[in-house]
Amino acid sequence: MRKFSVNRKDKQKPLSNDEINRYKNFSQLSHEYEQITKRPKKPLYQNRKLFLYLLLLGLILYILYIESKK
Amino acid sequence: MFKRRKIANLSDADLVKLAKQNHKHFGVLYDRYFEQIFKFIYKRLGRDEENSADITQQTFLKAMLNIAKYENRGYHFSSWLYRIAINEVNLFFRSLKNEKVVEIDQHKIVNLFEEANIEVHSNTENQDKLIQLLNELPQDQIDLIELRFFQEMNFKEIAEIYSITEANAKMKVYRILEKLNKNF
Repeated sequence: MRKFSVNRKDKQKPLSNDEINRYKNFSQLSHEYEQITKRPKKPLYQNRKLFLYLLLLGLILYILYIESKK
Repeated sequence: MFKRRKIANLSDADLVKLAKQNHKHFGVLYDRYFEQIFKFIYKRLGRDEENSADITQQTFLKAMLNIAKYENRGYHFSSWLYRIAINEVNLFFRSLKNEKVVEIDQHKIVNLFEEANIEVHSNTENQDKLIQLLNELPQDQIDLIELRFFQEMNFKEIAEIYSITEANAKMKVYRILEKLNKNF
């Protein structure tokens, strides 16, 4: 919550542009943006779809190998 | 180098188009409006440098994330940034556990007295009474008073921030002043 009060002392001095520009940092902002928007990288064992796909591919290759041996 | 300089000279509308395609182009808009938005937030926060810097970054981050939704309706791009900044500042104040006191320069209070047609404004007791009335106003009304008297914006700028007509902005502000005068 915010409450107002009257400043009866001297008029407050505004910040200079140099003082403000110390806080300017577009690369940090861009990094934060990328962190939010990029797809999360899941390890293979946590990605169920990819894991099952690879398992199925492995099984097919194994069956083909067995069949070719016969 | 030449390309970067060329981009820096583009209009806001063209830069927004580019930023919609690639967020890196938002950097020119960031450079263009950082100081303006920082000063605005800094005043609203009662000269709190660290939090002003954080909220300014947050404002630009929100703008970057929502740039695809931005539509150019003939208002300045900065008025969209101001609207985001107002929301961010209000969110910040709502998140505080303790009350934060924001000091207003006396001459700005005197201007408010004059506009509200309240005559005795040199009296500190009256000034405190007016401040108390301000503190009791709902958020949307205090936002308007702040923009007009503490940020010293004209009605055209206020109208652009709220996407309303200048006459409507004027009417809204004067209704609040009437209310203050009546309750004084």
